[in-house]
Amino acid sequence: MKKLAVLALAGLVLVSAALFFPTSLAAHDVNECYKNHQDCRVNALNLDAPWYKVMLILTVCDIALGKCALNL
Amino acid sequence: MRREKHLTMAVIGISLAVFTAARAANRSGVGKWKAVEVVLPANDADEACLGRPIALALDADHLYIVDAQDCAVKVFSKDGKFLRSVGRKGRGPGELSFPSGVSVIGGRLFVADKFNYRVQAFDRAGEPCGGFPVPFAPDKVWVLTGETLLVTSSPTGRTAAEKMLHLYDFGGRFRWEGLEARASSDPVFDAFVNMILVCPGEGGDFFVVFRSGERSILRFTASGALVGKIPVDERHAFQPLDLPFRGPKKRLLGFCWAAAWDRGLFYISAPAPVEGKDLGPGRRLSVVDRQGRLTASLELPCPVHRFVVEGTRLYAVDDDGGLRIFEVVR
Repeated sequence: MKKLAVLALAGLVLVSAALFFPTSLAAHDVNECYKNHQDCRVNALNLDAPWYKVMLILTVCDIALGKCALNL
Repeated sequence: MRREKHLTMAVIGISLAVFTAARAANRSGVGKWKAVEVVLPANDADEACLGRPIALALDADHLYIVDAQDCAVKVFSKDGKFLRSVGRKGRGPGELSFPSGVSVIGGRLFVADKFNYRVQAFDRAGEPCGGFPVPFAPDKVWVLTGETLLVTSSPTGRTAAEKMLHLYDFGGRFRWEGLEARASSDPVFDAFVNMILVCPGEGGDFFVVFRSGERSILRFTASGALVGKIPVDERHAFQPLDLPFRGPKKRLLGFCWAAAWDRGLFYISAPAPVEGKDLGPGRRLSVVDRQGRLTASLELPCPVHRFVVEGTRLYAVDDDGGLRIFEVVR
């Protein structure tokens, strides 16, 4: 009985893992995230906007990179 | 004895007067130049509108303005009449993706084709005539000599010791790279301290001006050798700006919004306060000689983002992205 419960739990954990992490990390192209991040920075720096605004946009680029890299 | 004392006092007094007069003369040596706006002809074509003008260049007959939004280089006469547009959006030959710099020699245009990671060349008729890929997003491009191109880049912050200046020949053969980007633990702050402007000088020499934190202008030869540092007169003052980077606030010392070089003089626009706590493009230019001495100040009727100077003409882009031409009266 105990063995069955352990097996059921293990199965549940595996199924949960499969459901919650359906995409493999390998399939997610982190390089693309970095490329988008660089384009975002380039855009911000070429805006020729006042510097406080540029700083805010650069910060948003960094947050977007984090989200993209973590595939959120 | 008493006479000697009086004589000494008189000598000291005269010396002081001469010293004060010399200092006053030195200070008053700064001219106040004026800018008179030149009325532009009506440019009715849609193509003549500038969406996002981010770089200007001149040759003997034309003014070239890079429009990053329209992915084109717009060609104007020196009186401001729109003539034609070169390039269109895309990835193929003759197509551009976020062009950001232009330089011209003998009617041949070199364009920094940023998101296509290449430098592209166009002939006099606006047809593509070569170019080469580069391993970074090119920012600006400058023809230094009949065979040398300077290409600048903004550091990505992803690798150590990134270089910001790159020399190539017209065939795209790499020759040199240098000027290492300053790096700290804060990539946003680094982006600001690594913002540079390049002014091509004479005989292939070029100058690098940092937009913040550094008041010395660096002078390089066409082969990339750093041959001098020109300390700019302190009367062209830093404009401080406190920014909340990661951790405690850090102070940026704004030095220059845009810069140009013409006939032995630097034209440096000072950043100006915007909406209370920000720094943006200014309307005051310092004219500085090759030793860094302040020669004159020039007040424009409006803030300008980018400009080029040729003799008494100043071609600029204003806050609305419009072309403005000024006649400088000395």
